[in-house]
Amino acid sequence: MLTYVIRRILLLIPMLLTISFLVYTALELTPGDAVSALINPELASRLTEAQFYELRESYGLNKSFITRYGIWLGNVMQGNFGHSLAGGVPISTIFLDRLPATLELSLVALFFSTVLGCILGTYSALKRGSITDSSLTVIGMVGVSIPEFFFGLVALLIFALNLGWLPVGGRLLPGYETIWDRIPHIVMPAMVLSLMMTAGVMRYARSSMLDALTRDFITTARSKGLPEWRINLLHGFRVALTPVVVLIGFRLPVLIGGSVIIEQVFQWPGLGNEFIGAVRGSDYPLVMMIALFSVFTVLMASLIIDVLTALIDPRVRLS
Amino acid sequence: MFDKILGVALAAALLSAGPNFATAQAINSEPLSDPRVRQAIAYAIDMDTIVETLLEGKAIVADSMLPNGPHKPDGLNPYAYDPAKARELLALANWDSGRELDMVYYYGDQLTADLMAAVQSYLSDVGVKMSYRKLEGDVGAQLTTRPTNPVDGISNIAWDLGYGAAAATALQEYYNPYKTGGTSHTPGNVELDGLIDAINATANPDEQRPAYFAIQEYWNKNLDALPLYYQQLFIYESKKLNRNGHGYGNEQYNYDFGIVDWTMEPDANGKQVMYTNTAPPQFFENPWANLGIWITSKVVFDKLLTADGSLAVNGVQLAESYSVGKDGMSVSFTLKDGLTWHDGSALTVADIEWSVKTALRVPNIHSVVSNTFKSIEGGQEYSDGSSDEIAGITTDGNTITFSMAVLDPNMLLTFTQFPPLPMAHLKDVDPLQLQQAAYWQKPIGSGPFKIEEVQMNDFVRYVPFENYHGGVAQIDEIVAWPSLDGDGNLLKNAGAGRMDYGFTKNVADVGALEAMDNMRVVAADIPYTRMIWFNKFARK
Repeated sequence: MLTYVIRRILLLIPMLLTISFLVYTALELTPGDAVSALINPELASRLTEAQFYELRESYGLNKSFITRYGIWLGNVMQGNFGHSLAGGVPISTIFLDRLPATLELSLVALFFSTVLGCILGTYSALKRGSITDSSLTVIGMVGVSIPEFFFGLVALLIFALNLGWLPVGGRLLPGYETIWDRIPHIVMPAMVLSLMMTAGVMRYARSSMLDALTRDFITTARSKGLPEWRINLLHGFRVALTPVVVLIGFRLPVLIGGSVIIEQVFQWPGLGNEFIGAVRGSDYPLVMMIALFSVFTVLMASLIIDVLTALIDPRVRLS
Repeated sequence: MFDKILGVALAAALLSAGPNFATAQAINSEPLSDPRVRQAIAYAIDMDTIVETLLEGKAIVADSMLPNGPHKPDGLNPYAYDPAKARELLALANWDSGRELDMVYYYGDQLTADLMAAVQSYLSDVGVKMSYRKLEGDVGAQLTTRPTNPVDGISNIAWDLGYGAAAATALQEYYNPYKTGGTSHTPGNVELDGLIDAINATANPDEQRPAYFAIQEYWNKNLDALPLYYQQLFIYESKKLNRNGHGYGNEQYNYDFGIVDWTMEPDANGKQVMYTNTAPPQFFENPWANLGIWITSKVVFDKLLTADGSLAVNGVQLAESYSVGKDGMSVSFTLKDGLTWHDGSALTVADIEWSVKTALRVPNIHSVVSNTFKSIEGGQEYSDGSSDEIAGITTDGNTITFSMAVLDPNMLLTFTQFPPLPMAHLKDVDPLQLQQAAYWQKPIGSGPFKIEEVQMNDFVRYVPFENYHGGVAQIDEIVAWPSLDGDGNLLKNAGAGRMDYGFTKNVADVGALEAMDNMRVVAADIPYTRMIWFNKFARK
């Protein structure tokens, strides 16, 4: 397994290089650049072409595309992620500031959606055909179908504006610093973010469990006279968990990207919010690093899923 | 015979329409260079209806680039909706009904898209086809790339009509860009240049007035750009805020709004906390470009002088006193004794001198400020890099004097808006990359409030500056959220009681804020004119 893991890690390098080049090219093809985004049209109308040239020169934007990519890549290889073009803030600082907020939101949402999704999905499978199963199926479909921003706005209206139970947004109020102060702020965004995921995990867990319950080893276990809870949980659920783990593993990077909208709705100061600003401002060093980070988490998640699958399911062998 | 009758009828129509129509003609092959076509477009659009419906009555129909006030002459043609007259003028100008005009805009709000649809419909009604599109990418270049020959050259822009705005700190700003070579869409014109020179020739409002009358009368006939409506600004406040007698003004700029005296209803902890917006998402913007838009520009940075709500000079701030030379060609400021920055270091004339010099080399700076500083003796040369000294700035003890090479009518206005920055924190920064300095993560200023805590993209906390020269502010704390006008978060925060002060130009915001029991909204007339630009250069 160790050889497999090392080989997969080494494979990440060409993949990341290719993807970084593709993202950089895509950014280059978008109209405008950081200078045109920094200066509003009214002010721009008063600048001469020479001033624009000088300004672009100071940002290194007059160099050719390949040269700029080469410089950027060289810096990244040396651990220098560069600076945001808009505000000159080191990108490592932006990551250190924003990533914890995004991870906090994503992990809480992932935890709730996984636990709740697995419990409800398994229960639904065990009660197949019952009213509870049908109700959960309908709820699952609704959860998957309705966009999360809609849930977010409805939740804000009810719990923040009408009932006043929870804050309208932000990660923390001024003057409050403890973890307990943070809890009211994360409840709504995490619940809304986990809502859609819960529905997905639930549906997946249900069908996976139903599939497991039809296998021969379940029949064998029953013939041995094992108690039903032991058959379901230790035999059925363990096997049903494998595809669910794959789904959950792939959800982690999606959560980081997927929280962009939720971060906007709840004014959550995370990486998603930053990404939107960077794209709007053609802040290519920042866009590049956030995009690469997302890609890296996807690839790492894929590797972790493979390893976990092998650990959970004895039928899987890594080679 | 029929032709003769038609000719007489058209001549009669022209005479009734005004004396200038008969002589108006295109200056090149582009039909939009014909004033009659521009006038026809003005007559074709029913701005009264647009203001009453789309803008919900929260704007004023414009009949000039300048806002209503003492500088506007009587008798300007309002170009009231008259589609029949529009059709007549188009016929006279031999308008090609197969031509489709390309209208561009750069605002992302729904109201603008609706307005474009309305204009398209009105123009269609008089036989003018128009399509519209939002500019993306390098909007500045697409809007403003000038032709090589600014008088009768070939256009370097791709559009026919552009929807934009002018938010003027000084009234000259409405016309100064139209001097020969200044725009991408209006060919140079000796007569117009002369009129523009005249409004810039004096700082005396009484002497300026006839020049403003003349240029508006010229514009009203020629419509080099079509003024559509005057945008209003809406100041919203929670009912917990008390300005204690201080009035309202043009919140987009800096004026003496007396925030030191403002009070808030204490919260449960007995603290006076005022919530507002415009906190930064990633960095604080330097206050030399958008002079008064951000709360930080208003409360963290002091200026040498103060202005009233309409931006007329009304007193001193960092200056103890000031004096203007008899010919208006110089101004001296003597600083108050004992001024300090928020970090306790002394604020001196060296900071002022360094700030003015640096501003001359920062590209992203407000045009009024830039014009003033370039008018200083040696300012233009320092700005373009041909000199490293400015002869027109001298200091003597606590006094700094600016001597001008050319008269700038807005010299004092500039010093009501331009905040000096602390040289010690920024002197090693390349002016081209001033905004990239680490200083902008938590700037140190000289105003009544200092920045206490920054949670970027979450909130900023400001507390009173204990050594403020104008007395310590009564509000204990200002908390700013990173929301803006037209942003849903503004309304959410207001609805949740987390918004006590701010301003917006967004009509949808206003309606929602007015419906909230805890908020009040005050309308302010500001010099902000929405208009249509006509590209009058010949096409490739």
